[in-house]
This record gives sequence, C-alpha cells and structure tokens, in this order.
Amino acid sequence: MKTKRLALLLVAAILMLTSCGGDSGASSAPVLTVMGRKSDMEKSYMTSIFDLYEKSTGNRLDVISYEDASFETEAAKEFSAGHIPDVFIHFHNADLNRFNVSEHFYDLKDESWVSDLTDSAEAYCVDREGRLLGLPFWENSVSGCYYNKTLLDSLGLKPATTQAEFDVLCQVLADVGYTPICWPASGCTWMFQFGLDPIFADDPTLLDRLNKNEITYSEIPAVTDMAQWIEDAANKGWFGDSYLEQGWSDIGPVLSSGGAVMTFIWDTWFYTDFAAGGQYSIDDFALMPVFMNTVDGGTYEGGNLNMMMVNKDSEQLDLALEFLSFCATPDNYNTAFDGISTVSCFQGQTTNIQSQMVTNAEASIAERERVSTAASKIVGYSADDVSAAFDSLLRGKTDAAGCVRMMDDFRIAEAKEQGVEGF
Amino acid sequence: MKKWVRRAFPFFLICIAGIAAVWISIVYFNFISQRIYEDSTGHLSEIYGQVNRAFGSFVEKNWGLLDSWGDYLVLAEEKGGSAAADFIAGEQDYWGFSEFYFLSGDERCMTLSGLASGMALGGSWDSLIRQREPVMAGETLPDGREVTVFAVPVPHGTYGDFPYDAIAISYTNADLAKSLNVDAFSGKAKCFVIHSDGSVLLSTQSGGSVFNNYLTYLRAASDLDEAQLARLLSDWQSGATGLLQCRIGDVSQCILYQSVGYLDYVLLSVVPQSAVSAGFLAVQTTTMYGLAAIFLLVGAVVVALLILRGRKLSRKNRLELQSRERMFDVLSNSVDDIFLMLDVRGGSRVDYLSPNVERLLGIPTEEARSNIRVMEKCAINGDVFIPRDELEAIPPNGNIYRECEYMHQTTGERRWYRMTVYRAVIQDVTKFIIVMSDRTHERQMNQKLQEALDAARSANEAKSNFLSNMSHDIRTPMNAIVGFSVLLEKDADQADKVREYTHKIKASSQHLLSLINDVLDMSKIESGKTSLNVDRFSLPELVEELTIILTPQAKAKRQCFRSYVQGAPPEQLIGDKLRLNQILINLLSNAVKYTPDGGNIEFVVSELPQSAPQYVKLRFEVRDNGIGMSEAFQKQVFAPFSREISSVTNKIQGTGLGMAITKNLVDLMGGIIRVESQPGAGSTFTVELSFALPEQEESESWFRHRITRMLVADDEEEICLDIRELMRDTGVAVSYVTEGAAAVEEAVRAHQQGEDYHVILLDWKMPGLDGVETARKIREQTGTQAPILVLTSYDWAEIETEARQAGINAFLAKPFFVSSFWQTIKPLFLAQDEQEAPAADAAGPVMEGRLFLVAEDNELNAEILTEMLDMEGARCELAVNGQEAVEMFTRSAPGYYDMILMDVQMPVMNGYEATRQIRASDHPEAQTIPIAAMTANTFAEDVRNAMDAGMDGHLAKPIDMDAVRALVGRLLARGRAPSDRTENKEGEPN
Repeated sequence: MKTKRLALLLVAAILMLTSCGGDSGASSAPVLTVMGRKSDMEKSYMTSIFDLYEKSTGNRLDVISYEDASFETEAAKEFSAGHIPDVFIHFHNADLNRFNVSEHFYDLKDESWVSDLTDSAEAYCVDREGRLLGLPFWENSVSGCYYNKTLLDSLGLKPATTQAEFDVLCQVLADVGYTPICWPASGCTWMFQFGLDPIFADDPTLLDRLNKNEITYSEIPAVTDMAQWIEDAANKGWFGDSYLEQGWSDIGPVLSSGGAVMTFIWDTWFYTDFAAGGQYSIDDFALMPVFMNTVDGGTYEGGNLNMMMVNKDSEQLDLALEFLSFCATPDNYNTAFDGISTVSCFQGQTTNIQSQMVTNAEASIAERERVSTAASKIVGYSADDVSAAFDSLLRGKTDAAGCVRMMDDFRIAEAKEQGVEGF
Repeated sequence: MKKWVRRAFPFFLICIAGIAAVWISIVYFNFISQRIYEDSTGHLSEIYGQVNRAFGSFVEKNWGLLDSWGDYLVLAEEKGGSAAADFIAGEQDYWGFSEFYFLSGDERCMTLSGLASGMALGGSWDSLIRQREPVMAGETLPDGREVTVFAVPVPHGTYGDFPYDAIAISYTNADLAKSLNVDAFSGKAKCFVIHSDGSVLLSTQSGGSVFNNYLTYLRAASDLDEAQLARLLSDWQSGATGLLQCRIGDVSQCILYQSVGYLDYVLLSVVPQSAVSAGFLAVQTTTMYGLAAIFLLVGAVVVALLILRGRKLSRKNRLELQSRERMFDVLSNSVDDIFLMLDVRGGSRVDYLSPNVERLLGIPTEEARSNIRVMEKCAINGDVFIPRDELEAIPPNGNIYRECEYMHQTTGERRWYRMTVYRAVIQDVTKFIIVMSDRTHERQMNQKLQEALDAARSANEAKSNFLSNMSHDIRTPMNAIVGFSVLLEKDADQADKVREYTHKIKASSQHLLSLINDVLDMSKIESGKTSLNVDRFSLPELVEELTIILTPQAKAKRQCFRSYVQGAPPEQLIGDKLRLNQILINLLSNAVKYTPDGGNIEFVVSELPQSAPQYVKLRFEVRDNGIGMSEAFQKQVFAPFSREISSVTNKIQGTGLGMAITKNLVDLMGGIIRVESQPGAGSTFTVELSFALPEQEESESWFRHRITRMLVADDEEEICLDIRELMRDTGVAVSYVTEGAAAVEEAVRAHQQGEDYHVILLDWKMPGLDGVETARKIREQTGTQAPILVLTSYDWAEIETEARQAGINAFLAKPFFVSSFWQTIKPLFLAQDEQEAPAADAAGPVMEGRLFLVAEDNELNAEILTEMLDMEGARCELAVNGQEAVEMFTRSAPGYYDMILMDVQMPVMNGYEATRQIRASDHPEAQTIPIAAMTANTFAEDVRNAMDAGMDGHLAKPIDMDAVRALVGRLLARGRAPSDRTENKEGEPN
C-alpha cells in the first residue's frame, strides 16, 4: 500500500508540473497514435492507463477506434493505406495474421518488463517464430470447467480429476436427471480450442508440422478423439435436449437455474455475463479442468489477451516503446487494474481481484494450464470454422472423421488465402 | 339367438382358456421370480460377505505387518545406515503398497525418502496416537491421488531426525479397489468402503470415484425417503448388515451393506437388480421361452393340423364345387338357357354365370362375370335385370319373371328369353338365382306360324280379291260383249251401229283375252311348265322395239320416256328375247301406268362385271317418278294377285299377276329383280340377267364402204363421247361438236379442206340450230352427198317430210348402237339391189284370192275363221282333224292350197302329227307348203313345238286377222304367188 501511495503522489506531482508547464507544453507534446476495437478501448483499465500516461508524461494519445463489427476491416484498410498506428492493440488470434505481424511489429522480447510477465501471459504473446509481439495489457482469465459445486455437493459427488472420472461424473449426473454440461452449440465457438490446446501445447512439433502443412488434423488421433467424445457426449444426453438451439446468452440462465451443472468458460465471464437470476450465484461455482478427451488430467486455457504492439517503422518508435514501458510499470498497471477481476498478467500485479474459483484451483491450474495455443498459434485456425464443422457433426450431417476433415479443409483454405508458405 | 350362441361358444371357450393360461403363467412366473430374487439376494450377500471378509483379512494383514515391522524398525534405526529403508523397500516390493510413512504425534509424516508433509488421517490421529489403536483412513495426496492409509502405533522412535510414534503404509485407491472388484453380476456391481456417515473411502467405480458421500447421493438421487435414509444411517453406525432396494435414476438397484468390522467402516455393494437376478433370470427367461416355444409348437401343430384339415375340407369342397360347376357348365353349354346367381350385397356380384352366355349372346363370359351390367348391351328393350327394389320385394323362396329380348353382340341374331328370378337364402346370405329360359325357337315358330297364317290370310285375301277382281274384270268385258251382241242383233240392219257395236265387242274381247292370257301365263308358271326359248337376238333391236312400244303409251300421258345404254354392252346376245320383252314391257307398262301425267320414265341398260368371258351380265333399270309403293307393299309386290289398295290404283285395271309373272320369269332366267320405292317419289325396278354371247362374227368392213370420218353433233357431250367410244373398234374417226352452228362450221371447214365427212349424225333437238336446220345448212354450204342422219329419242314422224327435204337421209333412235347405226346407213351405201323387198305391208293383196286348208275341230271357230277369211277375199277348205287335213293335202294337186292353218289340239290326229305327216308325204309341196299353227298355247315352247313339227308360223287363238295377215304376208312373200287354183286332181276335199 505504501508503494501505491507513493506512486499516486508521484503522479500527482507530475500532473502538477505538467499543468504548470502551460499550454505551450501541451501543444508541443508528442502524439502517439493508438488503434484498437472501440469496446476494448472503452474498458475502464484502458482509459485509466491512457489518462495516466497522458497526465504523467504530458504526451498525448490519439486513440483511433472502430466499431467492433467493422474493426478488422477498417484497421486492415488503414494498414493497406500505410496508415499504421504507433501502437496497435489486438488479440493474438487468427485475425492478427492479416496485419502482417512479422513485417510491421517490433519484437519486444528484450524489453525490461518482460521478466515481470507471468509465464502464461508471456507465452500467449510469443508468436510461432519466438518473437514477443506485444505487451499483454488486458484482463486475464482462466478457462476451465466451471461447475456448480453446491449442486454437486448436494448429490454427494465430487469434481473429476481425470477424463474417466469426468465421464463417470457426467453419466452419474445424467442418470439422476441432470444435464451435466451446458453446451451452447449455437455460437459456441470458443470451447473447441480448450480441447485442442493440450494437443499442440504439449507437443510443439505437431503444431510446427501442422503449420508447415506437413500433417493434418485427421492425422492426429487426439483431434478425432475429441470430436468423437463430443459426439458421444451429445448422444448420451450430457448436453441436454436443446443444446443445439442454445447460444451465448443462454449460458448464464442455464447455469444459474441449475439447468446444467457444468460449462466450459472462463472466470471473468462470471463477472461480466453471468447475471445470476436463478437459485445459484457465483459463489456456488468452482473450477476444475476441462475434459475433452484430449488429455487425461484435463486442461485449463490461459487468458486470451489484448496486446499492445509497436509499429517498428514508426517515427516515434522510442516513444511508443516508452509508452509500453509506462504501462508495464507496476504502479501504473496496479493503478489501472485496481479492483478489476482478473488473473494477473504481471507478477507484480497486486490490485486486481482474483476470483475465489481460480484461487481455489490454483494448484490444479498451475499443473494443468496451457497457454491458448490453438486459436493463436495454428495457421488458418478460425473458431467460426471449427464451430461450423462441429455443427455439422452434432446435427448428424457427418461423423467425427468427417468433422475433422471439414476442420482441415477450412483451415487449409484460410491458410491459402493468407498466402502462408507451404499451403 | 340360439344360432349366434352356438357359433360364439367355441370362441368363448378359447378366450377363457387363453385367459386362464395367461393367469396361470403370471402366477407361476411371479412365484418363480420371487424365489429367484430371494436366491439372488442370498447369492449377493454371500458374495459380498466373502469380499468383506477378504477385505477384513487385508486390513488385518496390513496392520499385522506394520505391528511386526515396528520393533524391527527401532532396531534397524539403532543400527543406523539404511537398514530400515532397505527393509521397508523390500517389504514394499513384496506386498505392493504404494508408500511407507513414519507418523509423528503432531499429525505429520515422513516417507522413507525423507519427504515430510502433513497428513489428515481422516481425523483418526487421536485414536492412533493416544488410544494406541490401528487406524485406516483415506487421504488425498498433493498430486491429487487418493490413497488409503493403514497405520498402527509403534513404540516411539526416530527416523533420521524425525520422531515418530506410529508407522503407516498406503495403497492407492485405484489399486485397493481391485481387491474389492467382483466379476459377478456382469461387471455392473460397484463396491464402496464408506464411513458410517456415508463419506466414501474408496470405490470400485470404473474410471474413478466421483462419489464424496454416498448417503448424500442416495438422498439426492434415489427414491429413498428420509425415514429409510435415517434407518440406513442407523444401520451403518450400528454395524448392522442389511439389503434394500431403491431406484436411482431409471435403474432399480440392490444395496447391500455390512460392517467391515474395523472402526466404523461399512462395505457397501450397489448392484442393479437386473444384474443380481441376471443368472437366474436367464434361467427363468430360458424356461419361459422354452415353455412358450413348447406352447407355440403345440399351438402351431394344432393350427397346422386344423389348417391342413381345413385345406383338405376346403380342397374337397372346392373339388366338389368345381366338379359341380364343370358339370353345370357342360350342361348349360348343351342347352340354350342361361343361368346366373347374383349376390346384391354392395352391388351386383356374380357368383355364377353359365358359360354359354358367350355363345348365346356374344359376350365374353369372364367380362360378364366381372360386370354383369355388360349384358345390358344385348338388351333390345329396357334393362337386362329387374331393378333391385323389385328383387328385394321377391318373397323368400318366391320368384318373378319377365320376358326379354336380346341381340347377339357379334352375329346380330335375336333371341328371346323368359327370365325367372328366384330368391334363395344360402348360408344366411340372400342370393338371386336367375334362369333365362330360351324362347327363341318357340318365338320363331310362333312367328313363322303367324307369318304363315298371315301369308295364308293374305293369299286367301289375294285370291278373294283376285276372284273378286276377276269377277269384276271378266264380267265387265263380258257384259260389254253380251250387251253389245244383243244390241248388234237388234240393230243388225244399221251399219253404223253394227260397226260401233262390233268395235266395242272387239275391244272388250281383246281385254278379256289379255286377262285370260295373264291368268294362263301365271298358271303355267306356277305349275312349273314354263320353259325358255333361247335364241340369238339383238339388244339394240330389243331396246328399239321397247322404245317403239312404250313411246306412244308414254306420249299419251304426256310422259317423258327416255332410254339409255351406258357403256358398250355386246349387241348380240343369246337368250329368250320374247320373255325378256315380256319382263321389260311389264315393268315399263307399269311405270307408264303408275306414273301420273307429265311424269318421267327412264329405261337404262348397263353392263355389269362378269367373270365368265362367254357371258355378259346386264342390268335393266326402269325408273319413274310415279306414285311409288309403301314399304309394306314392296315386300309383296312380286306376290301373285297383289295390288296395292289406294285411291289411285283402284282406278287402274290389272290382275295383280303382272309382277308375279315378271318375278317368276326373272327367276326362270336365273336373274334377280328388286325394287326401290318411296310413296309419292317413284320406283326403280332393277333386273339383272346373264346372257350367253354368240361366237364373234366378222364385222362389217366400214372401210370397204369408204367410211372413215364421221361428224357427230349433240348438245349432250356425254352422248358424243359414248358414240366415239362405241365407234372405236370400227376404225371410223369420230369428231363431235355440241351445237348445230358448230357442226355447220366443222362440215364447211372439212369440205374446204377436201376432207368431207363420210357420215354426219345430228341430234334433233339442240339449242340454236336444231338437227333439221343444221342438215339444211350443211347441204347448202357444202353440197355434200354424204348421208346425214338424225339421232332422236322422239317420234320423228311429224318432221320426217321436212327432214328429208332438208337433206336428211335417215333417222336413228336413241340410244346409239353401232349395229343399228350400220343397219341404218348400210342401205344408203349399198346398191339398190341389195335393198330388201318391201315387207308385207300390203296385207290385202296378200290375202286376196288365197286358198287355205284349215284344220279345226271346233265348228264355231271354223265358222268364224271362214268368215274372217272371206272378209279378206280368201277362201278355205275345212278338215275336222289332223288326219283329214293330211288326207286333203296329199290328195290335192300341187299349188292347189296356198297355205295350211293347223289347229294343234284336235281329235284323231293333233296338229303337230298332221304337220309331220304332211312334211313326210310325197306331195310335191310337202316341204314348201306354209303351215301355221293355230292354238291357244302361246308360250315359247308351243312355238318351238310347232316349229319342231315342221310348221312355219304360229297364230294364237282367238285368231287376230292382223296377225294372220302379217304371217301370211311374211310366209308368202318368199315369192309364192296366189295359187292359180289348178284343179285338184283328186277332187275337192270334203
């Protein structure tokens, strides 16, 4: 707390000095352009760090934001026109590929703040060529299987620790009339990467060969095992009767009403979207690993983070790097994330609020967490494409092998469109 | 009612037997199931009793091992080094526990490898350390593995620096669960070791235990109520053994619990009830299936036997039915009655239909069987069948009938049936048996009888009419004759009156004679005595003669009579010209007679196709637009004594025999005659006859007479074309024009070119210049001497003088015949000496001065003839029979008699014989003296008989002096002059 208080005093002093500097100082202040998704830029911790920066340095930030729906398109247009911002904020996912990462962005691996990053946050920001693409400045979360502990306790049951136990647990729940898993198939695009992550995170050679088009999903048995497990689970009734019609907005009501016991989600979701209205609240839930038949002990996925990336050709490269350093300063990020429910991205992060669910599962998370790999590291990966393939599977239009072939077809087509070497 | 009960009784018996069998089966299987369940649960208790004992032994063994190791470990530790660790490692390898622990009094533990950590021991530390009791507890290791720890207190010691008061070994629950696994119950059994509060120590759940507290689970997931759960908890806490059943989800489970015997642990076995009894259920099921199979087999055998018996009966019945149907088919085929059985439920279904329906009515049997309504096609009047409401009205075992008339669908033959419908009840079903009795023969017989009766009546009526008519017709002239004879006698001195009366008497006599001739003709025809006098004759002459005869009659009634010859029929035929004449005159006379004044009559001759080359078939048609005939009368127009009765015909004289005679003559000549007529529209009589053709004669050489070009002018181009066609074989080139003026121009043109026509044939009546005027102009403008003939169908007498003055050489009657044409123009080309001597037109000079030998047995006839000859200036000598005639002739001097008139039927010697003897005599004139027959027999055979006998002519009685004059003229024209009446050397005959 002392450190925090000192930092605030320092900021106040700087602000006073800045204000004493008068208008002449303000008008000549350097301006950094920052581009990002509109809703992302409006997050409280983002506006907080922007304000703090401007007040602390006297520099100005020209924040360019686009509506969420058109962000990718508009940003790509700007890049094509050569209007590349000094700082570009984007998730490390497939959409980032269209911005030609290796050509435009600065490798930050030698920055001083890197050592302060948590392992999972750092791993998330490293691309497949080993470059650190950006500073992970975002609310972090842990994706896993969030289950209704109260309900489970009332049934005399305990969470699973292995895939076999998970299957038994699901069947026991189903036998006594509960829907084990909330699986909102309509629009459920994120779950599949949870199962895929350990396949490629645990064996980087597979990822490498996949990205060089030397191997396909179909040739990796675990991928087909996952598809088969999902199909079997659906057929056994583990997803309930109306899962094909359920979507994103149904998860909260289903879980809070006890309509399903478990779901594969991330912890911050409970603080942003859960909106408990039923008999169960956040406190009734706990976290165990996701089991999707790809790794026996289950897995957790690390956070999907927005990264601050620096235009390496920027005329204000140093200023941009200084901006990132400003953000990575413990006082600053603790100020920005003060009271925010998130898992820490920085080791020195102390003011954020970590959910009890994550805290209780820390040992299990530490043992089983994988960095988000599928979505960010697999060339041509698209959560929508994978979801479309599984939609065909779950609607009986194809079998597990067919589903995986569809995933391959989509992935390879996307990679070709991106002009990735080897495709 | 009784019938219904009798029929339903077997069904009730079967139902009761079935229900009883089901009830017995249920009771039996419930009993068996209960026994099986009891045996099964006993089996379950026994199995898990053994498991419990084995687990207890396992616990005892582990505690015993630990007890035995305690003292040794103290000693080993005192020895120092790794003795203790080595010992435990050896034991671990042997016994298979997962870890060994030294336990301190402060709830900490240390492994042999020196790893220290905390251990909960499920809260059993107090029992272990202070109460010095062995314990067994579940523990979750930091790596998440769940283990079961067995611990015993040992004397205080230290391991390294770690002080301990107890030692323990652990087994992973997964390994430990294997010792509790039971292969029985199809692997569906789960076994738990739980605390008496329900918390699960270890589980044999496949895949791992997800149960935290089984009592909680049962409370949430089973159908046990709180009282049952409390009792269960109480049992567990008291170490009681028990078995209960509950439903978890959809599955009925057996839960067996028994105290492990150590601490408060309970061995809990959860087995699906279906698995508990599975083995026994299998036996039960097998038994059930076996019994069911036996029942089914027995049932199947019974059913099969019943079916076989039923089939056998059915086959026998079917065979009998087929035999009966076959027999009935054969029977029905041999008669003309049709049999039918109908079932009118839901329409009219045919149960049976005799197959002769196809033969009798021309309807395919199968078609009629599938739809009986097709028979309606055959019905001539009304529906085939009696309407359904009428059928329904037939009383049981009653019947109705009706008469029906049908027409055979292929032959058109009519058949009459009497349809009798019987109502019958067969096996409670109402059927209608229909018998269609054939009445055709009976009907036809009746019809024939009726027709015969009608005919007889008609004939009788006709004869009555005839007699009546004849009476009237004969009496009329007879009255006239008698009446005028009286008047004649009275007024014999008044020459005018005498001439008038005798003329009327003569006319009446002629009429009477024609009546008698017709009657005799008909009589002779009907008696089959008529024969034909076949000889060569000329068709043109026949047509010309008919035209000559009919034209005046038609003209008298201002009728238009026209003759046509279509095509080019042969002109020379062989046949009975006299009879053909008689046929055609009859038809044409009737046409004139029954056609009103101003009407049209056409006579058309045409040739019909004929396959035999030596014959020709001709059609003679007589058409008129007269009063016509009713259809009914057309059918009997050829019957004798038939005359249609109408206001018109009643005014026309006739015997009603003319057409009958005509028909009989046509039949005699092998031809056919038919009539088409409509009342008021006229009639057409058609006669078709075949004639033999004479051998071809060498035709006249037209070239020999320098006739090579001919001009024809007729306003009817068709006639011109016919003439050209007819003249084709003559080699004469025929040119024609259709107007008189054109004929003049053509003749002038030909003349100017030096190609005068050798013959010119002109129609009399043409538009513009008529034939006479055209001839005049041709003569004037060309000066040609070529013969010009006028072709006409009219009487040319009135213009003959003017025509000849105009330069016309001759007239030619239509229709045009080559032979007639030749005959007409031939004299014009021949020398005068080739012209024939004039016919005996001048009758008077021929008769005058002649002496006739008359053979006549009838004195009155002889007298009349004598007087008539006398009136003609001739004389006669009479012979009363043939013998006398022969004698008188043979005695006569040559040239004494000019001619002999010989009656045929005479006593002593008839005329034929007398003629033969005269011809056979040696009288110089035996062969040359003309002999003419005088007979009432005027038929052809009479003429032929006369000729055969050597006579030269034939005169029909009563003697007509015109005929006598004509015959005498013809016979004596051979150059015999009237006899000079040399004295009869042998004197005057008597």
